[in-house]
Amino acid sequence: MEIPTFQPQLKVLSREQALSIHAAALEILEKIGFKMEHPGALEMLADAGGKVSNGDRVRLPAYLVENALSSAPRQIDLYDQKGNKTIPLANGNSFYGTGSDATFTLDLETGERRRTILKDVGNFAKLVDALENIAFAMSMANPEDVPVEDIYVYVFAEMVKNTNKPVVFIADSGRDIAKIYNIACMVAGGEEELRRKPFILNYSEAISPLRFPRNVMEKLIFCAGKKIPICLPSGCNAGGGAPVTLAGAMALGIAENLVGLVVHQLAGKGSPFLFGPNVSVLDMKSTVVSYGCPEWSLTQAALADMRDEIYGLPIWAFAGASDAKVMDAQAGAEAMFSIISAKLSRCNLVHDVGFLEYGSTSSLEMVTMASELVAMSRFFGGGVLVNEETLALEAIERVASGDPGSMFLTDDHTFEHFMQAQFLPKLLDRSRYDSWEEAGATDLYKRCNIEAKRILSEHQVEPKPDEVLQGIAGVLQGH
Amino acid sequence: MSEFQTLAEAVVKGDIKTAVAETQSALDAGSKVQSILDKGLIAAMDEVGDRYSKGLIFVPQMLRSAKTMKECMKLLQPFFREGDITSKGKVLIGTVKGDLHDIGKNLVAMMMEGAGFEIIDLGVDVPPEKFVQKAQEVEPDIVGMSALLSTTMPSMPKTIEALLKAGVRGKVKVMIGGAPVTEKYAQEIKADSYASDAGSAVSKAKELLGVS
Repeated sequence: MEIPTFQPQLKVLSREQALSIHAAALEILEKIGFKMEHPGALEMLADAGGKVSNGDRVRLPAYLVENALSSAPRQIDLYDQKGNKTIPLANGNSFYGTGSDATFTLDLETGERRRTILKDVGNFAKLVDALENIAFAMSMANPEDVPVEDIYVYVFAEMVKNTNKPVVFIADSGRDIAKIYNIACMVAGGEEELRRKPFILNYSEAISPLRFPRNVMEKLIFCAGKKIPICLPSGCNAGGGAPVTLAGAMALGIAENLVGLVVHQLAGKGSPFLFGPNVSVLDMKSTVVSYGCPEWSLTQAALADMRDEIYGLPIWAFAGASDAKVMDAQAGAEAMFSIISAKLSRCNLVHDVGFLEYGSTSSLEMVTMASELVAMSRFFGGGVLVNEETLALEAIERVASGDPGSMFLTDDHTFEHFMQAQFLPKLLDRSRYDSWEEAGATDLYKRCNIEAKRILSEHQVEPKPDEVLQGIAGVLQGH
Repeated sequence: MSEFQTLAEAVVKGDIKTAVAETQSALDAGSKVQSILDKGLIAAMDEVGDRYSKGLIFVPQMLRSAKTMKECMKLLQPFFREGDITSKGKVLIGTVKGDLHDIGKNLVAMMMEGAGFEIIDLGVDVPPEKFVQKAQEVEPDIVGMSALLSTTMPSMPKTIEALLKAGVRGKVKVMIGGAPVTEKYAQEIKADSYASDAGSAVSKAKELLGVS
């Protein structure tokens, strides 16, 4: 008797709500239109049936969206840098990774918030390489010690030197993305190998509301041509780039994503595109874009429902971040809230793990903690396995009717099952008070600090072959 | 603020209709334009700024007050040209070359306007030469630059360099801001001031010009 295990999941939209938001997004594209500043993309849209006016204003008929949705692949697989399929993005699979471009980081030695440098990118990548539940790397830093015109090339090179996991990368325009692509080809062993087993995904942003700059479209078209997976949210934060009400912000963000998707599929039919508008809120006191708010978790859960009802494409999401300035109780609470809700709403590629200060500061400790929180939510999301073994009637009978002193703790059933039956934390402390005190009376921040330091000093990243390293050096020197 | 209490209260509440009517009746009654501005509108905006910094009101409420003030200012505008009233200072502002983001810059502009500065907004993607040309034309007290992207930050020192070459740098104070911008960066590129948000942009601007 095999009883399927129910996977706990969150549903936040009815079908009627999902269809209404989708209809609003299509209406935005048909009636309001958008500003397309890339001449090539403008021409493609016009040729395909888009209505162009005032130079670069475009309105899109709904059928173009339907066409793009039907040609975009519904499953995207990302591979690690050794060619293993580690991130199959389909259905409700969730994979967590870090974020990009933090201006500051919390120094591991001093705890101080300081400007990021290239070495930080390497440290974060190395930590990601070691952490079991962190599946992909982003830079976590916007280093001040590299030439700014090639900042993303340096950052990408530093990441591939320090991890073999998949990498989500940023680029500025068509110029530097070509250099990054060259490095990726070297790592993968050639253009064809990279195409077959992509280990990279590009993250680019248009500008809300409804503005598509030339440099951003260059990257989109480049990725479409090379079959590099890409996602293209636009920063339509409720109250900032978008209306303050979540439904309108989602409709706008989805419309913007659909523009990206249409251009993308026209430039490279069947190329992989991750859906996801990133709808957070602009905080109405500080005007920061919040990374710890419940709204972002809610809108991405809603988007996951829309994926299931309408779009079918894997989605891009966020979790494990906070608006707190230090890794305190707020940071833990906000990180856990978004991690568990991303898991339960079955978001696919989940980034920004380890951010503090609304994404301005990265923290190695925060990433380390998040890895454990992801494990916790995976355990919860796994549901309750029900079968003869787990119902354990025999064990109950043995203990209940056995010798005096017989107990579950000594029963074979416990020995055989406890590792799977229970979540065994590594960093969350459950020790008795006296032992905790003896071990230094540490809080979670301290324990994560110690663990991150241990990983950075002990973990060995399988190095890249010399010729790849030389090739990377060549690209950085401008050859 | 007793003389213009109803006006000031309307601005604080963001009641555009009442505020505009009060401004008009103050003008009709022969009140000094400078007094309407200082004791009515700016005093109200100071109160709004104070409430905001104490966390008593939210940004949209503050911006509604700024909008209310702006509507009242339209009635006072003709007197500006006649030299009857003076602003706190003239601010030339824009998002630097290569950067198309403007929410932060717009917020700063609105807040400064609310505080009594005159704003000339150049928009987004403003090349150094445009900053220079406009600075030569309008002779601002402050040039404010904004950038959201780290890749566009180098446009800030380039603009400062251009102001220097054109002989304008000595006549203006340069303020910078934006997500990746830091105090340290401001020092490195020899800007006069850095502000981390719209509220502090106002107080930094006042500091730079020695006005209150």
